[in-house]
Amino acid sequence: MSFKNLVGMFFKYPDTTRVTGAVEQNGRNDNDSATVQLTINGTVYKREVESRYLLVDFIRHEVGLKGTHIGCEHGVCGACTVLLNGNSARSCLQFAAALDGAQITTIEGIAEDGDLHPVQQAFHELHAVQCGYCTPGFLLTSIEFLRSHANPTREDIRRALVNNVCRCTGYVNIVEAVHKAASQLCHNSSEYDREQT
Amino acid sequence: MNAIDDWTLVGESILRREDAYLLRGQGKFVDDLPVPQNTVHLGFVCSPFAHANITGIDISRAVALPGVIDVLTGNDFVGDILPFKPDIKIEGYREISRPVVATDTVRFVGEYVAVVLAETPYIAQDAIELVDVEYDPLPAVARIEDALDREAPVIFESLGDNVIFKSHFETEGFADHFASVEHVLEGEFHLGRVTGVPIEPRGCLGVIDPVADSYTLWTTTQVPHVVRTAIADHLRLPESIIRVVTPAVGGGFGVKSHIYPDELIVVALMRRYRRAVKWIQDRREELLSDAHAREHIHRIKVAVDAEAVIQAVELKLQTNGGAYANYPFSCTLEATGAARMLPGPYRIRNYKYDVVSVVTNTAPTGAYRGTGQPSCFLAIESMMDRIGRELNIDPADVRLRNLVQPEEFPYVNAVGVRYDTGSYKESLEKALEISGYREYKNRQPKDRLIDGKYRGIGICNYTEVSGTGAPGWRVRGFAKMPGFDSSRVVIEPDGRVAVYLSQADAGQGHYTTFAQVAADRLGVAWSDVTVIEGDTSKTPFGTGTFASRGSVVGGGSIIRCCEKVSAKVKRIVGEMLEIDPSDLVLSDGRVYPLGTPDKGLTLKQVAETAYSMNDIAMPEGEEHGLEATDYYDPPMVTMANGTHVVQAAVDPGDGTVEIERYFIVHDCGRVINPMIVRGQIHGATAQGIGEALMEEIVYDEDGQLLNANLLDYVLPLVLDIPDMEIAHIETPSIDTVGGIKGTAEGGLTGAVPAVANAVCDALSGLGINISRVPLRPSFILAQIDKAAG
Repeated sequence: MSFKNLVGMFFKYPDTTRVTGAVEQNGRNDNDSATVQLTINGTVYKREVESRYLLVDFIRHEVGLKGTHIGCEHGVCGACTVLLNGNSARSCLQFAAALDGAQITTIEGIAEDGDLHPVQQAFHELHAVQCGYCTPGFLLTSIEFLRSHANPTREDIRRALVNNVCRCTGYVNIVEAVHKAASQLCHNSSEYDREQT
Repeated sequence: MNAIDDWTLVGESILRREDAYLLRGQGKFVDDLPVPQNTVHLGFVCSPFAHANITGIDISRAVALPGVIDVLTGNDFVGDILPFKPDIKIEGYREISRPVVATDTVRFVGEYVAVVLAETPYIAQDAIELVDVEYDPLPAVARIEDALDREAPVIFESLGDNVIFKSHFETEGFADHFASVEHVLEGEFHLGRVTGVPIEPRGCLGVIDPVADSYTLWTTTQVPHVVRTAIADHLRLPESIIRVVTPAVGGGFGVKSHIYPDELIVVALMRRYRRAVKWIQDRREELLSDAHAREHIHRIKVAVDAEAVIQAVELKLQTNGGAYANYPFSCTLEATGAARMLPGPYRIRNYKYDVVSVVTNTAPTGAYRGTGQPSCFLAIESMMDRIGRELNIDPADVRLRNLVQPEEFPYVNAVGVRYDTGSYKESLEKALEISGYREYKNRQPKDRLIDGKYRGIGICNYTEVSGTGAPGWRVRGFAKMPGFDSSRVVIEPDGRVAVYLSQADAGQGHYTTFAQVAADRLGVAWSDVTVIEGDTSKTPFGTGTFASRGSVVGGGSIIRCCEKVSAKVKRIVGEMLEIDPSDLVLSDGRVYPLGTPDKGLTLKQVAETAYSMNDIAMPEGEEHGLEATDYYDPPMVTMANGTHVVQAAVDPGDGTVEIERYFIVHDCGRVINPMIVRGQIHGATAQGIGEALMEEIVYDEDGQLLNANLLDYVLPLVLDIPDMEIAHIETPSIDTVGGIKGTAEGGLTGAVPAVANAVCDALSGLGINISRVPLRPSFILAQIDKAAG
C-alpha cells in the first residue's frame, strides 16, 4: 500500500480534492510528487502532482480549463498568460508544485455572470480577434495593465503588450480595442465615483 | 449571375459570431477536445543530423519505461503507409519520395526517425530521450549554391544531381526584343527562408467510431477533404470510412495546407492498436519540420527605353526546395508562383524565365502566405526604383508609365493569365495622394538625413492571385488539386438556413461572412443562418481554404447554391399562388410577388410544404426537401491588386529600421465584410514587415537549424507594427460569381518590397542598393560601413 493510500485511510479529503492519475500514470514514485492547493477563478483545487508538472498543464488537464493556450512552451509568445496572485505570468514557465496557495485567474474567470468584460467587449467590437488562440493571453495582459493605468496612450498600450505575440491581427485592432476599453473602464469608474459621493 | 446589384447584407461590417466563444476561451482547438479513455499519446524522435545513414536504433531503454506502450521505427510503417510522392505533372519536375518515418537515411534536421507511443504526453517526452539511434553522418548541403556545386554530395541517387525542378519560358521573339533596347539594368535579390508560425502548433486526435469500422481524424488543417483523400491513398483505405474534422484552428497561413506524416501515422496507429491516438506538436518541432518557404535568388535583367518604359524582362530564379517534396505542393508551388507572377500589374510583353529548384538537407519548403509573390515583387519593384535612379525619373512615375492602363482590361499577361478587371493606375495614384508622396519627395534632402536618421519612402504595386480554379492548378502541374469548392444550402423545416461548406476556417471569420452571403441571397435574417464547415462527413467535397480562395470560391458557391434553392422556393410558391415564379422575391424571411409583400408566404410556410408538414401538396414533379448542392470551379485565377507606400527611418547608430507611416490602397473586388477585410490586410502586412525586417530561418553550412525557437526566430511584436492608413477601391471581378476577389495575401506581398524600397531610398544618399531581406540591423550596419569605405 502506498503512502498516499495510507493517508487516505486517516483523512477524509474535502470534495474539491481528487487525487488524480497524474502521478500514478506517470509511473513516478512519490518522491517526485507534491500536493498542491491552487485557487483558480475562486475554486480551490487540491491535487497531487509531479514536481515537474507545469502550471499550464495543471490548469488545462487537471482542472479542465482549456482557454489557457500553449503556444511555445518557452515563455515567448504569451498565449498561456494567466494572472498569478494578480500579476500576469506565463503558465508554461511555472511548476504547479511550486505555487502552493496561489490565486490564479484564467480567461474563464474574466466574464462575470456571462457578460463580456469591457476589454473582451472592445475586442469584439473592434475585431481584435481572428483565430482566437493568442487572445486569452492578450486579454489577461490588458486587464492587468488597465487596472493600474486609467488613461493610457496608444504608445503606453503598445509597451504593455509587447511581450505577447499575435500572428493574425497585426496588433492594430488590439491596440485600438484596449484603448477603447480603457475609456470605457474609466467612464464606468467615474460613474461609480459619482454614485459614492 | 456574375454581376449582382441588389446586395443587402454583403458589404456590411457585421461583428463576428465566433468571437462569443473565442473571447471566453471556449474555442475548441485540437488540444482542447475531450479525449477518450485509454488514448495513446505520441512523441516523435527527430533526427539531429541533416544527412546521415541510420545504422541502428535501440528502443530497449525506452520500452522499459513504465507507461510506454511501444516504440516504432521507419521499417514498422513500410507497407502500411505509402511514402509521400506528390503528383506534379509539369515539364522539368523530377519525382522524389518521402517515407513518413525515415528508414535508412535522414535528410534534414527534424525528420522523424521513430515514434513513441505512451500513456501520457509526459512519458512520451521522457521516452524520446531513451531511444538510442546510431547515425553515420554524411556530408550535407544546405544552400542553393552548394547544392548546385559539381562536387556536392547527391541527396537522392535517383536524381543523379540535386536539381528537382527546371522550368523555362519565353515569349515569342524574346531575344530580338531584348537586344533592341538601349538600357539594361541588372539586379540580384535574395529572400530569406521564413515560415508561417501560427500561434497554435499543429496536432491531431484520431478516434475510432465505436459502432462502425470508421475513423475520425481531428486535425489542424486548412484542407480537410484533401487530407482525407491523402489518407485513403497512402493507407489504401476506402475514403468512405474516414472522416476528417477540423476543430477551431489557431492560424494557418498556408503551413497547415500541407498533409504531414503525423496525420497518416495517427490514422495507421489507431487502426493497429484499436485505441484513440493523440499528438500535439511543440514549437521546436513546428519550426524544424513544418513547411518552410522562400529562400529564393532572383537574377533579373530589365531592358528599358529612355522613357523608362520596360521593353523586356529576363529572370533567372533559383529556389531551395528542401529535403523532400512536401505533399501536395512540392517546392514547385513557390517556384512557379514567383516566376509566373513577376509581370504583376505591369505591361511586360516580352518575358523570359528560367527556374531551377534544388534539393538540400533542409526542411521541405511549400506554401506560406503570399507564395512566390513577395519574392517576385521584391525583384520587380526594386528594379522600378533602380530604373528611376538610373534615368533620374521619380520611381512613382516609372511605375505609372508601365502599369496596365484602365482601358486595357480585360488584359492577358505575358504568361497567359487573364486580368479581368483591376484598378492599377487608380490604386497607385490614390496611394500617392493619401501618403503625400510627392510632397515627401519634394522635401526630401539628397542625403536623406533628417534628425540624425536616414529617412526614405518606398512603393510597391502588386497583383494578388486569388481563387485559383482547376485550370490554374493544372497549368502549374498540380494534378490532384481540385480547384472547385462546394456548398450545400438547406432551408430547414423551421425556415432557418444551414450552409454546409467544403472549406475550413483558421480565424478568417467564415462563420460570420458566409452567413452574410447566404442571408443576403435568400432574404433571411443573418442570425437565422448557420455555417457548418471543416468536416468531411457533413460537407460536400472541395479544395479548402488557402491561396486567398475562401471568399471567391466559397462565397461564389454559396451564391450559386442559394440561387438554386430560391428557384425551388419560387416554383413551389408560384404554384401555390398561381403566379409566375420569376415575379416572386425572397426578402425578410418571406416569399412574395414583387411590390406586394403582404400577399406572400413565410419561408417557414414554404418549408412546411417541402417537408410535408401540412396538407398542401408539392407541385407535380417537385421532390420533397428544400436544399441544393453546388460545385463552383472558378476561372484560372482572379487578380486582386493594391499599392503600399511606406515611410521608414534607419538609425545609423544601431542599424534598426523604424516604420514611421504606412499607407495601403487595396482592391479585392466585391467586399463581403469590410471589417474582416481590413483585419486580413493588417495581419498580412504585419507578417510582411516581419519578413522584410526580422524573420529568417537560419541553417548553418552543415544543415543544422540554428534558431528553432521564438527567441531566435524573431516575430514582429506590437512595437514593430505601425498603424496602417487604408483606402479601399472596389472593382468587382467580371469573371467570378458575385465579383469577389481574394484578399488574404496581398498585405504580405505588398509589404516586403515596400519596406525594402523605403529602406533603400533612405540609404540611397550613401549609394546603397538593397538586394536582400530580411534587413536586420547587423546587415544594415554592414552596408553602411561598406558604403563609408
